[in-house]
Amino acid sequence: MSGYRIGIDVGGTFTDVVCIGPDGRTTLAKAASTPADQSEGVVAALGVLAAALGLPLPDLLARTERIVHGTTVATNALLERKGARVAMLTTAGHRDVIEMREGLKPERYDLRLPPPPPLVPRRLRLPVRERLRVDGRVEVPLDEASLAEAIAALAAAEVEAVAICFLHSWRDPAHERRAGAAVARALPGVYVTLSAEVLPQIKEFERFSTAAVNAYVGPVVARYLSRLRARLGEAGYAGPVFVILSHGGVAPVEEAARLAAGTALSGPAGGVAAALALARRGLGQDLVTFDVGGTSTDIALVTAGEAALGRGRTVGGERIALESLDIITLGAGGGSIAHLGPGGTLRVGPRSAGAAPGPACYGQGGSEPTVTDANLLLGYLDPGNFLGGRRRLDLAAAERAFAALGARLGLDATQAAAGTHRLANVHMADGIRLATVRRGVDPRDYTLLGFGGAAGLHVSAVARELGIRRVAVPLFAAGLSAWGMLHTDLRYEVARSAADTAAGVPPDDALRTAFATLEAEGRARVAAWFGGQVETRRAADMRYGEQVFEIAVPLDQLDWDSPGLAERVREAFHRRHEALFTYALRGEEVVLVNARVAVVGRLPAMPVPEAPAAAAPAAPVARRRILLADGGTAEAPVFDFAALAPDQRLDGPAIVESDTTTVLLLPGDAARMDARGWLEVEVPAAAAL
Amino acid sequence: MPPRPAAPDPVTLAVLDNRFRAIVEEMGEAMLRTTYSQILNSSRDFSIALCDARCRLVAQADHIPVHVGAMPFAAQAVVEAFGDAIAEGDIYLLNDPYHGGSHLPDLTAIVPVFAEGALRFLCVVRAHHTDIGGATHGGYNPAATEIWQEGLRLPPIRLGEGRRPREDLLRMIAANTRLPRDVRGDLMAMIGAAHLGERRLLALLARHGAGLLDAAVEAILDLAEGHARRIVATWADGTWRGEAFLDDDGFGGEDIAIRATVTKRGDSLTVDLSESDPQTPGFVNSSYPNMMSAVRMAFAFLLDPEVAKNDGAFRPLAVRAREGTVVWAREGAPVTMCTSHCSNEIVEAVVKALANACPERAMGGWGRRFRVAIKGRDARRPGREFVWHMFHARPGGGGSAKGDGWSTVGEWHSAGGLKFGSVEMAEARFPLFFRRHEFRPDSAGDGQHRGGLGGELELVIETDGPAVANTAGDGARHGSAGILGGRDSVPHDYRLRRADGSERALRTKEVGIPLAPGDVLHVRAAGGGGWGPPEKRDPAARAADLAEGYVTR
Repeated sequence: MSGYRIGIDVGGTFTDVVCIGPDGRTTLAKAASTPADQSEGVVAALGVLAAALGLPLPDLLARTERIVHGTTVATNALLERKGARVAMLTTAGHRDVIEMREGLKPERYDLRLPPPPPLVPRRLRLPVRERLRVDGRVEVPLDEASLAEAIAALAAAEVEAVAICFLHSWRDPAHERRAGAAVARALPGVYVTLSAEVLPQIKEFERFSTAAVNAYVGPVVARYLSRLRARLGEAGYAGPVFVILSHGGVAPVEEAARLAAGTALSGPAGGVAAALALARRGLGQDLVTFDVGGTSTDIALVTAGEAALGRGRTVGGERIALESLDIITLGAGGGSIAHLGPGGTLRVGPRSAGAAPGPACYGQGGSEPTVTDANLLLGYLDPGNFLGGRRRLDLAAAERAFAALGARLGLDATQAAAGTHRLANVHMADGIRLATVRRGVDPRDYTLLGFGGAAGLHVSAVARELGIRRVAVPLFAAGLSAWGMLHTDLRYEVARSAADTAAGVPPDDALRTAFATLEAEGRARVAAWFGGQVETRRAADMRYGEQVFEIAVPLDQLDWDSPGLAERVREAFHRRHEALFTYALRGEEVVLVNARVAVVGRLPAMPVPEAPAAAAPAAPVARRRILLADGGTAEAPVFDFAALAPDQRLDGPAIVESDTTTVLLLPGDAARMDARGWLEVEVPAAAAL
Repeated sequence: MPPRPAAPDPVTLAVLDNRFRAIVEEMGEAMLRTTYSQILNSSRDFSIALCDARCRLVAQADHIPVHVGAMPFAAQAVVEAFGDAIAEGDIYLLNDPYHGGSHLPDLTAIVPVFAEGALRFLCVVRAHHTDIGGATHGGYNPAATEIWQEGLRLPPIRLGEGRRPREDLLRMIAANTRLPRDVRGDLMAMIGAAHLGERRLLALLARHGAGLLDAAVEAILDLAEGHARRIVATWADGTWRGEAFLDDDGFGGEDIAIRATVTKRGDSLTVDLSESDPQTPGFVNSSYPNMMSAVRMAFAFLLDPEVAKNDGAFRPLAVRAREGTVVWAREGAPVTMCTSHCSNEIVEAVVKALANACPERAMGGWGRRFRVAIKGRDARRPGREFVWHMFHARPGGGGSAKGDGWSTVGEWHSAGGLKFGSVEMAEARFPLFFRRHEFRPDSAGDGQHRGGLGGELELVIETDGPAVANTAGDGARHGSAGILGGRDSVPHDYRLRRADGSERALRTKEVGIPLAPGDVLHVRAAGGGGWGPPEKRDPAARAADLAEGYVTR
């Protein structure tokens, strides 16, 4: 096999495509995103890519062996509340689980905030008489008459999707399956989700909410993916299409349509996949990903070469308890608007000028000052060479916007812009600090990996705020998420609650059986997609008896065969707890709540391009006057990122530009172009806050 | 008073404002990750504050509203008790409601921050502990008639020096509780969070200097004051009264009144609670800091949520009260219930009065707390006793100008910040069967915007042999208040149905209720109060309520 592989990342403004050729060469292309039907923008971007490669699109696609796609269709459906009309069949006596939201309400001091409408209105949450006990015994048999009554109501309500959510179905899904089969028979074409299939785990709110989200976005995602397949087919592509899921692995489109709630973080997952790939290439094992786009900044941690996963995710206020990358999103990006807060202090974001009207300097009708306008005014961006010269920036418009804001603060336009840039840096640094303290790590031990169109102008200053000494910006910073999608493996997560009423951790034999069953189930699923090499990983969610938060404990390193397995599992938990929270309580009862197995199908590695021959260091292409944090100015040399020679060294202040991104090196920064495709920057020690 | 240093430039000010907020947030995260007990790591019953050397609240993390306004009193109590003896590296602790605390279960750890030879800040961490000794498990003792029956009392003590707590004191405190391991683990987490705050502030002080930080604090407080005053100035001037009633004091006294007279002029207001009923024999009395906090909480709820909750924001507010009343008990009286009751009634009385000044900001009453704890044995785990605290079947929130209330989010004092656990998990861990847990239709107060719904729970007791329950709370006679013509909600209705078919209503302050397997606890919680006259409710909303089953008629 020696074809092209294409990664496609649909963002709010642009659709990025990255292609790795048979020779290992990487090519980037982009086109405007088409929110109404994202697949139009995808095909348009592929057209741009084909042109860049000098091939007709059908030829390129005929020679493409794999397409991996990151989509925001599910995310947008949740954020904009444009999902399917969903009903729920649920255990009689418990129909309000998803609307009770565990008794929690956001915004502690906003008592006038109206409650959000639930994804499934109460009138469509239909009680069915049935009830299991925690140990699997049937307390109330599934009552066919009440099921038939509920199904008749579904038919009358003309729903597009149904979530079937019964108590304790994690223990035995038989009732859910019977109800699901009955719905499928009575209402062909309706999208059916069983809670025990989406998330076979104890804790009804998490399971029901995840199932409701799946049913809500499922029909939308399924329709989109089938349109995408059709368009790609018309354009000449017949190969496999994979979708990157929230946990960072990929799965075939059919699986993504089935487990649509698992695509809610599909967009930002590519960036983390890229960080993992760069870690494997030698960038370092401990990375903070710092993905700055137009409206938001995504932050995640790679520790010892692994990305942290969690299950506490909410998107659009709705809980999705599937395994997903632990990505924190801040409302700060290039389009974030600087304004005077209600208390009278300068604020940046979370409101954003977005793609329309965009920053004032875009000249599309935006008049409010944004971070991008500030960066332009400070000399960090070139008005004539933004996005490779495809967009001219209006310096005067940016100046007007900041003059107006500055007047209210007693500052001139440049001072207000400098303040905005600085405040954006502090805000981003605080986000990273919070993300790292949540995981109990010190950011100073990490490399800050900046990517996305806007990270390069902030990454060095943010590192200083945090006391981080090492920064990296990949050459393909703007398309890195799409690139990352090509470097991740197939992944299927399978889990089952083992919460037992007697033993906190099941006995040895029960443990072995439980994990072997999960592995067999996962391998069978992956075998249906993929014929290559498959690995499995074992882990468990565990806690002390009286605690409520479980922690994930990796169990791969254990001896699974000799006696005393349960004791070793307990000890693995104590150690993990100690590592995370500084203490263990070895006399306490340990409870294993969920057993989990990840089945990973290794996709063939990407070819690595030959290292470019040593070349003469590139000379600056220009000089630009920039404003520095101390209020002084500097004549900074401007370099072409793509022209930098391997191992070429640069000292700040300097500006490094490519078609898609700009990197600002501050005084004291020592940068080196790494032949593997990134600019590595040593940042001087600063008094970190 | 020393002369005011010049204010920092607006950008530095914004940066420092951000940093103060981020530091308290980070302290809160550290706390969440390291506490041991369920009430802290799941229900998040703790709060963080940062005070300056004058014990003024500079920044707080949004955790439990009823803690927030009370924290500066804790800082003050430490400064009053130790004065110039406070040294870098010291750790202070208190819980005494008559010396800086609110009620005994809330322990407060305080770490001073020194720079350039002087006290600059105090990092304050308050957390509700699972047990604090006294006559009943968990600290709520409706039979208590004096504070010594409520648990271990700690006026401000120096818990340690050189950033290390004294081992003997830790042992002594832990030994006075039923759950020494939890209390110790949680105390260590509190101290750890306070030290994290100290570290961050020291770095900030080193970078900017104490003078600049002082100036920034002044400016931040002044800006919040200005923000709050600008809002208050838009309200109508006048004097109004608001009244709210506790069900009873647990000793036969009923309808205990909290009376607020609020006078609003220009950009300030005075809340006078001195006409409230005399203090009671039982634990619904409030301590002084808790009363102040309840009034500030009510005020904060009526401002914009964006107003920084710091000392400046509370400057437009003056509070008057009389010692010896239920809102300000004399030293020695029991007060454990006060963070819920009479806090909630103080908020309700203040909001009722101010509804006249700012009707668009007022909200219908949020529900009252009615606790149940069950102690017994589980046949699946022989040889050990369990205690289960009910957080299910929560009451509803009140309606407001912006819409109907939230359902099952709880009470004024926590405002949707306390989580109830999973039913499936509770059945796995306790010998209890949740036959029903869903909304209680018709439980909300009607109005142009109705209240949120309360919850309903049918809980079957399946213990191994007899068990025992305690209750603590209020609201079985008085529902959540309707406002501006909105209706009150129905009150709580808790019943015990015996296996033999007999049934009785549970009172809100009972100790030692015997339970037997097969008994059913039937809890029907109050909804929230309505906002505005019911006649003005949109007919479409009324039809939707009926279709959704929020109401049945």
